[in-house]
Amino acid sequence: MDSLFLQQVVNGLIIGSVYSLIAIGLTMIFGVMRISNFAHGDYAMVGAYVAVFVMMWLPGPLGWVNALLAAAVIVAVAGVVSELLIFRPLLDRRTDIDMIMVSIGLFILLENLAQFFFEARPRMLADPFGGNTVDLGLVSTSQLRLFCLAFSCVAIAGLQVFLNRSKTGIAIRATSQNSRAARLMGIDINRIYTLTFGLGSAMAGIGGVLYGTLFAVYPTMGAIPTLKAFVVTILGGMGNIRGAIFGGFILGVAETLGGSYLAMEYKNAIGFVIIILVLLIRPQGLFGQREGV
Amino acid sequence: MADEILRTDGLTKYFGGLCAVGDVSFALSDGEIVGLIGPNGAGKTTLVNLMSGAFPPSSGTIHYNGRSVGGFKAHRLNKMGIARTFQVVRIFKTLTVLENIQASLIDRRRYGPWRLALTSLYKRAYSLDADADARQEAERLLDFVGLTDYRDELAENLPYAYTKRLEIARALATRPRLLLLDEPSAGLNPRELDDQIGIIRRINGQGVAILIIEHVMKVIMSISHRLIVLHYGKKIAEGAPEAVYRDPRVVEAYLGGDAHVAH
Amino acid sequence: MTPRTTRRLLTAAGLAAFFTLPLVVTDRYFLHILVMTGIFAILTSSWNLLTGYAGQLNLGHAAFYGIGAYTSAILATRLGINPWAGLLAGGLLAAAAGFLLGIPSLRLSGPYLAITTIGFAEILRLVAMNWVDLTRGSLGLYGIPPLTPIPITSNVSIEFTSERNFLYVLLIVLLLTVWAIRRMIRSGFGVTLKALRDDEVGAESIGVDTARFKLTVFTISAFFAGVAGALFAHYQRLISPDTLSLGETFAILTMTMLGGLGTLTGPILGAVILTFFSEWLRFVEDMVKLDVRMVIYGLLLIVTIRFMREGVVGLLVKLPWWPKTLGKGGSDGR
Repeated sequence: MDSLFLQQVVNGLIIGSVYSLIAIGLTMIFGVMRISNFAHGDYAMVGAYVAVFVMMWLPGPLGWVNALLAAAVIVAVAGVVSELLIFRPLLDRRTDIDMIMVSIGLFILLENLAQFFFEARPRMLADPFGGNTVDLGLVSTSQLRLFCLAFSCVAIAGLQVFLNRSKTGIAIRATSQNSRAARLMGIDINRIYTLTFGLGSAMAGIGGVLYGTLFAVYPTMGAIPTLKAFVVTILGGMGNIRGAIFGGFILGVAETLGGSYLAMEYKNAIGFVIIILVLLIRPQGLFGQREGV
Repeated sequence: MADEILRTDGLTKYFGGLCAVGDVSFALSDGEIVGLIGPNGAGKTTLVNLMSGAFPPSSGTIHYNGRSVGGFKAHRLNKMGIARTFQVVRIFKTLTVLENIQASLIDRRRYGPWRLALTSLYKRAYSLDADADARQEAERLLDFVGLTDYRDELAENLPYAYTKRLEIARALATRPRLLLLDEPSAGLNPRELDDQIGIIRRINGQGVAILIIEHVMKVIMSISHRLIVLHYGKKIAEGAPEAVYRDPRVVEAYLGGDAHVAH
Repeated sequence: MTPRTTRRLLTAAGLAAFFTLPLVVTDRYFLHILVMTGIFAILTSSWNLLTGYAGQLNLGHAAFYGIGAYTSAILATRLGINPWAGLLAGGLLAAAAGFLLGIPSLRLSGPYLAITTIGFAEILRLVAMNWVDLTRGSLGLYGIPPLTPIPITSNVSIEFTSERNFLYVLLIVLLLTVWAIRRMIRSGFGVTLKALRDDEVGAESIGVDTARFKLTVFTISAFFAGVAGALFAHYQRLISPDTLSLGETFAILTMTMLGGLGTLTGPILGAVILTFFSEWLRFVEDMVKLDVRMVIYGLLLIVTIRFMREGVVGLLVKLPWWPKTLGKGGSDGR
């Protein structure tokens, strides 16, 4: 096989794994609470900035690992706070327009607060692997990228285990499938909401650190992950975690291939074209009927 | 016997692998009231959804006025004279009670969206302030269901029993020949129940055929000319109310054994 | 005084102020703000028709605006077509795009429709950025001619290069837009839209062909936005792909929510308040050297939805002297 092609597929899988990570949070929150959070990518932005500051204190690989942890915790807290203050009071509104609009408000707010507090210039997160590359025969990639892929996969797998094995995880899935029945079964719905939002935001926070390390960190960086996460989520069926995992990889590969073989300048449009097609042909997403989490 | 208005033949609806309605054939005549009964999950609402065009049948035919209408969309069937109400009310919550009725009064056979939008620019057709005829008709219908005192109230502020009546008035405003009522008495207290029976009788008195799904036996036995019984999506009995009520198959369907209905 | 006369007096006073303001105001900067307010008022009113009344969440309204602007600009600069005809052409092409974007709305709602409409606008923006031969890319189209003068006699004509004269044209278009939307909303068309917004299945059951109604309202809404875009092109005489940006749509929706979604006066009020407010903020920002405008936009949007869903109009209606329309058989005055 053409090695350029293979190289692009590998690149696509790497960036796709990060898309999956961010999109999982979005799809979980939608599945459980029916909230479409257009500020989700800004949680990733916050996570990336947490990493910037942690790595100022503590450079090198150790700092980077700590940054991932700190981002997860801080963004989870930020997510829970925004859920309690902004989203929960709107849960009983007549239309979902309110929820979408309020999340757009949060998006505008976070993005511009970031511009207000941090400089507009992009910052680079130092590569903890010092830019070393790995040669895998036909393709080569950096250690960093390989680590991103591995780390995303581990985080995704960890979440899957949590959702499928732990009691709390099963309660989250039950709520996602039928919140009324879950309530009748004695599940504390409000606790599940808070937990889901925290967990979903934490995934975005970690994703943000990886995304920021692969590209750059800047105040308005959240918009692109938000849109990508929505594309992935719709691709996989909203509320469907497995769908989001595959959707992320599909989008990553489609973008890198489309970007190198078709037209670079339209790379960011590829996702939209895909979902418009998916929505018209298979509105429930590529992966089955509405499965829930 | 009056003219036949609607007939289904072998009507079947599958959801995935589940057969919600299976091979149901029956006919409705002009001006009669037919009760549709059966245990929960028997497929009654699915049958009404098929007849009103909410979704197309998997197989089988529906003839309305001698014309095959299976697969027609809901709005089209409504224009042909089939109106319905819903088990869980679907009134227009942000409109006033009067506007709910006026929304139905627009002659949609003549006025499509473009015509409606463009005529509004030079003519006060169906304008809320100015169309005297529509207003009079709306007032008449409000009076008919006893909602005159609430006409300027937002529909979402109506007490539950009145939302049921508003939905009936809204359906009537489209001048149906056949009215499908999906549990019009659910959740009503005894007095409201009597009012509801009176309203249904008077609608029928104007020559409208009615198919009614109902669990409240008092209602169904007192107004139906005929009963149809569904069980697991199949028609298990049909006939005069008293006869059907004593039919052992019906008793078994409801009580799940060979027990007898106590009188 | 009956509520009806109060309302008429208020409307008359508003109209009088509307048309004398450009005569009184001499400051060009202030006239420019008025022009931008007018353009935004057309955009918010048309977006409100679609999202507020018909319940179709469109986050790509800037696309219609951009299509109108680019159409008229390209026709005038490349083919020398009269800008007045360009206004109509811009509106019509945007309307065609509106019809196209309406098609997904037949099957999608809520977040799905929102993301599809964002995608539509983003794709168009990327086209405007990259189809350099036609649009000059990110440089933007410049040298767009102003509206051509209207001759009165053989040697007197009305020019539209000054802000003031252009403002009159804009005010007339705005007035026509608001008048048309008002007539539609108060007719059976508007009642049907609101019915379909409240309950689509219920609307189908009373004979509403919801698909055709949605396509119609998408088309009409896009037409007005397209005309606004064309007007902007011939006023600014320079347009860039920024006219199609998400930020533009967000400004439109913040204004509308602030004024009052699903009301007739709300969108206009919101456009006036926020355009002036952000100009004032720019003034403040220059003094304190901080960029807080968009932060405030975000906060306003959140607070409005959380605490005053009916917007400023919803607050005004609570005032005892404000003329009420409710109780006259209309729920649209709110």
